[in-house]
Amino acid sequence: MTVSNLSPHRYPRIVRWAVDWLWRVEHAFERAKASGRPEDDARIRILLVLAFFAVLFGLIAGGAVFSAAFSGAGKHHGVMSLPATAKADLVDRNGELLAVNLVHYSLFLDPADVWNRSETRKALLSRTPGLKASKFNEVMDGRKRRVLVEGLTPDVRQSIHELGLPGVTFEESPRRIYPMGPLAAHLIGFADPWGKGIQGAERGLQEQLRDGYVSNEPVVLSIDVRVQAALEEELAGAVAEFHPKAAVGLITNIHTGEIIAMASLPEFDPNRASKYSEDERKNRASAQLFEMGSTFKAFTVAIGLDTGVAGMDSTYDARTPLKMGYRTIHDYHGTKRILTLGEVFNHSSNIGTAKLALGIGVDRLKSYYDALGLTRRPRLELFETASPLTPRDWNDDALASVSFGHGINVTPLALAQAMGCLLNGGTMVPLTILKRPMGYQGEAQRVVSEDTSRAMLRIMRGNVVEGTGRKADAIGLSVGGKTGTGEKYDPAIKAYSNTRQVASFAAVFPTDGPLETPRYFVLILLDEPTGGARTGGLVAAPAVGRVIDRSARFLGVPRQMQRPEFDIAAVRGRPAL
Amino acid sequence: MIAALFNHRTRGFRTINILAFAVLVVIALVVNLAKAYAGREVREIARTERKINEEGKRIRLLKAEVAHLEQPERLQRLAKTVLGMGPLSPMREGDINSLPAVAAGQTPTGPVPTPTPVSDTALEEVSAVPVVADLNDAPAVPGPSETGQ
Repeated sequence: MTVSNLSPHRYPRIVRWAVDWLWRVEHAFERAKASGRPEDDARIRILLVLAFFAVLFGLIAGGAVFSAAFSGAGKHHGVMSLPATAKADLVDRNGELLAVNLVHYSLFLDPADVWNRSETRKALLSRTPGLKASKFNEVMDGRKRRVLVEGLTPDVRQSIHELGLPGVTFEESPRRIYPMGPLAAHLIGFADPWGKGIQGAERGLQEQLRDGYVSNEPVVLSIDVRVQAALEEELAGAVAEFHPKAAVGLITNIHTGEIIAMASLPEFDPNRASKYSEDERKNRASAQLFEMGSTFKAFTVAIGLDTGVAGMDSTYDARTPLKMGYRTIHDYHGTKRILTLGEVFNHSSNIGTAKLALGIGVDRLKSYYDALGLTRRPRLELFETASPLTPRDWNDDALASVSFGHGINVTPLALAQAMGCLLNGGTMVPLTILKRPMGYQGEAQRVVSEDTSRAMLRIMRGNVVEGTGRKADAIGLSVGGKTGTGEKYDPAIKAYSNTRQVASFAAVFPTDGPLETPRYFVLILLDEPTGGARTGGLVAAPAVGRVIDRSARFLGVPRQMQRPEFDIAAVRGRPAL
Repeated sequence: MIAALFNHRTRGFRTINILAFAVLVVIALVVNLAKAYAGREVREIARTERKINEEGKRIRLLKAEVAHLEQPERLQRLAKTVLGMGPLSPMREGDINSLPAVAAGQTPTGPVPTPTPVSDTALEEVSAVPVVADLNDAPAVPGPSETGQ
């Protein structure tokens, strides 16, 4: 009889079985003695002890196997937890170092352990660059161990260490260094002293930088420092000449979406980021909105062609200003004649563009703008990107304004992405600051047809050959482009100012060859240029031409002196009589 | 035979025990020596790893210095001031096939195509900006003037 048998119906079967088993074990010794087999008593005891330890070690072993195989421990190659400063190097597309973690040393001084004050001072001042006697005296006059000097290189640390000075100790302090200084500073960004990315790639690529640290691989950015330097120098030249409030430069590969160079002025040095104001650190290419002005005419013309509303031979009457309710739309370069589509683009006719947009209609134009990414924030690794400001009511009035780049505010990055889409064969390729693998073929959504894309390349070339963008031409590189001069809203007068403008030039090169030809988009924008010349054609176009001239060789675009002569007549169109 | 081996005694001690003890001492000695040797090796490895680590840090520092010294703007300034070099004119660019022409003292590239004639009216930079007409009917916040160029 067992305990469980006493109440067969009150407990579940498994409970009764367990109680029964315990009962048997408990009385095994008594049974062994009772049956006259005392050796069984010892055997059972040994068996029980063995069983206990077997179970115990089995559990420990099982736990160890689980931890090793399933807990995720060792995921980081044996590094259980990475310090915040653990970051991989940042390099450009050719492997040039852009950001690196370097170990520096902080020198600590403990006054209580210093035997000979004057000797220690003399030795430290002679071997420590930048150390002042006043700082030494200040630390020595205190009671606690304090930092005397920071940022010592390993060599300096070693030379001081060899002196064997009592009271002098060192501590490692990793630092993020940007060897190129201000070059591409807004794109590279910077991290705080504790390793947290604050801006640019340092913030947007934190995961990649951490993974790169673990795998000991640098994170490769899409930029090319040679092209970046050329862009920054020419942009600085334009700033020196026209004294704008700020300036932006951008070069992208329109087939891969890679940002080859990105500059924003005023500049800053990420090694001393805290010394600069927030305004100086602002990346105006990605975080500032502009009314781009006439560069938007490229979108209107492309949409007109793609929808079939317009053809190269379509004509628009620009003899008289266009009256729309309370407002009248004028042309900047008043031709006062009937213009073909190509001429509307080349003469940058507001009247012609507005009439074309009215023919396209609000719904179609807006759906194209949506597809071109002009109505939403660009999806990019950079954190500091701004959302566009679009018309609240998409009516005919807004339609006319938007058609020539007013009433809609976008970032230079959004403009570059949308322009790339028009010119790369018609597909939307998102921009990136990371280098794409060789032969990259992303999943791209078609926005305009290949025919439209070819036509836009021709039209933009025509604008440089005989339109407002002539000053952007570069010998043998078949540059195409569109000027833009957008007036800025002035809160002081609560109206648009005709003295504060945004002058830009959006270019593509080369414009000839098959659609698959490697092609690059270049944008230079000056915010409020001063002096007599304030239009994109005079302020930004020459700088774009120089940038293209200097960058083409680095980008692998051959300069062809014997290019087939450009058929400008095809762009001008043949209006029906 | 085996029983004799276990029963044989030397000076009152079982010989097998003496042999076992001797083997134990030898094994302990060997293990101790091996451990000491391994300890030396481990220290040597640690010292070498420390050295590699220090060298790695120095290399990184040197790489950063090289990158700093190779700043394109600095190289350009040095090339200009020290070597008297300047940007290459497009007319002097050429490829491998143009070398015979260069050797013969000719321009490395072909003639530049004649620019397409440009109409004088195509690019007039106008300073006076016509703005929105009929301002009396304009809203409180007027729209932009259509100055796109």
